[in-house]
Amino acid sequence: MNILPLKINNLSYSANDNEILKNINFSCAEPKVTIIAGNNGSGKSTLLKILHGLIKTPNNVIQWGNYFISEVKEKQSMVFQTPILLNRTVYDNLHYVAIKKNITEKNYIEKIMRKLNIKNISNINAKYISGGEKQKVSIAMSIIGNPKIIFLDEPTSQLDPVYKNEIESIIRNLSNNNIKIFMTSHDVSQIKRIGEEIIFLDNGRVIYQKCVKDFFSEEHCDLIKNYINYA
Amino acid sequence: MLINILETAFNLIITLNNDLFEIIHLSLKVTLSALIISVLISIPFGAFLVFYKNKFQSLIVLIANTLMGMPPVVLGLLIYTLVSKKGIFGFLDILYTPSAMILAQTLLIVPIVVSLTYEEIYKKNKEYDLLLNSLNLDKLSKLKTLIYESRYALITVALTGFGRASAEVGAVMIVGGNINHFTRVMTTAIAFETSKGSIELAVALGLILILISFIITLLIKSLRKIS
Repeated sequence: MNILPLKINNLSYSANDNEILKNINFSCAEPKVTIIAGNNGSGKSTLLKILHGLIKTPNNVIQWGNYFISEVKEKQSMVFQTPILLNRTVYDNLHYVAIKKNITEKNYIEKIMRKLNIKNISNINAKYISGGEKQKVSIAMSIIGNPKIIFLDEPTSQLDPVYKNEIESIIRNLSNNNIKIFMTSHDVSQIKRIGEEIIFLDNGRVIYQKCVKDFFSEEHCDLIKNYINYA
Repeated sequence: MLINILETAFNLIITLNNDLFEIIHLSLKVTLSALIISVLISIPFGAFLVFYKNKFQSLIVLIANTLMGMPPVVLGLLIYTLVSKKGIFGFLDILYTPSAMILAQTLLIVPIVVSLTYEEIYKKNKEYDLLLNSLNLDKLSKLKTLIYESRYALITVALTGFGRASAEVGAVMIVGGNINHFTRVMTTAIAFETSKGSIELAVALGLILILISFIITLLIKSLRKIS
C-alpha cells in the first residue's frame, strides 16, 4: 500500500466563522521529516489534525497516494503536544493500543519498550511518570502497528534539553526506517537539526515550502526573517 | 434518659435483635436491588448520551437533572397511582410489596446515576477524544474505554445513589405501606417506632443508618483519592 505522495488541493477550513486554513495546496512525495512551522494561530495543529482525519474535510481535498484519509488512517498515528495517556500502567497503555490494532505477537510490547528505553517504568501508572517519559510513552504508542506516517504536534515543546535530544533521536530513527514524519515545531534550532522539508504557514496560508537547508539560506520576507531570528 | 436510650439501642445491636436485623436485612435487600438495577440501566445510558448528539440529548440531560431533585413523596405518590388496583400497572399486583419499594428506589436513583454518569463520561471524553479518534475506534469501543477509565468515579456515583436510596423514607412508606415483617425498612421503622414512643429501636436503627452513611462517605473519599 503506497500512501505517498500526499496531495492537498484547495484545502480550506473554518470553525465558528473563523477561517483557519485558506486554499492550502501542496504535495509531499518522499518519506522524510516535514516540519510545519508558523507563528501561533497560523493553523499548524489544525492542519495536522486534518491530515490525520481528526477533523473531517471533503474526500477529494486530501489524497494519500490513491487513497482517501479514511482508507489510510490505520497506517497513521499521532503524538499530541500534551501526551494523552490512559489511567493505567505504562505497559497497559501500550497493551491497550496493541489490542486495538489487533497485534497478537508475543513480546511485541517488550520490544517497543526496549526500543524507546522505557522498560524501567512499565509497571508505573502513566499519571505518575515525568513529562519526558510521558512523551516517550506517547511515541511508543504511536509506533505500535508499524504506521507509515506519524504526526507529531510540538512533541518537545514542554521538555528539558535532555529529553528533547532523546526524542529527536527517536524521530530521526523513525524517519530512517522509512516512516514519514509530519511535525510542528517552534524551535528553529530543532528544525535545523531534524527537519528535511519545511512548510511555513501564515494566517492559514502556505507561504513557503522547500527543503530546510534552503529555508535557512535564502532571503525571506520580514515575517519569516523574524521567525528565524526570534523563534 | 438519653444514656439509657443509647444503652438499650446498643444492646439491641450487640445482641443481634431479630426485629432489628430483619429490618436491616430487608432495607439492604431493597436498596441494593434498586442500586443494581439502576446502575445497569443508567451507566450505559448516561455514557451513551455523550455520543448521542442531537436536540434530545440536552433535553434528556435536563430532565435527568430536574428529576434528581424530585421529592421522594411525589415519586411515591406517582408510583402508587400507577401500581394501585385501579392504576395502569395494577395488574402487576405489587403495591405494598418489596417489589414496589425496589421500583420506587430505582426510579429515585436512575436520574442521579444518569446525570452524574453523563458528567463523568463527558469529562473523560474531552480528555481522551483525540487519542481514541486517532486510534480509529468505533463508538462502542470508545464507550467501553471511557466507562473503564471512569471506573472509580462511577463507583462513587453508584455509592451516591445508594446513600440517597438508603436514606429515603417518603416513597417507600407510600408504596410499601410499612407492613411489619414484610415491607418495614430502616427509615420507615424509625418514623413508625418514634411515633409510637418506642424510641430505643428507632435509635438503634438510626445508629445503623449513620454507620452505613459513614462507610459510604469513607468509600467515596478513598475512591476520589484513587481516581
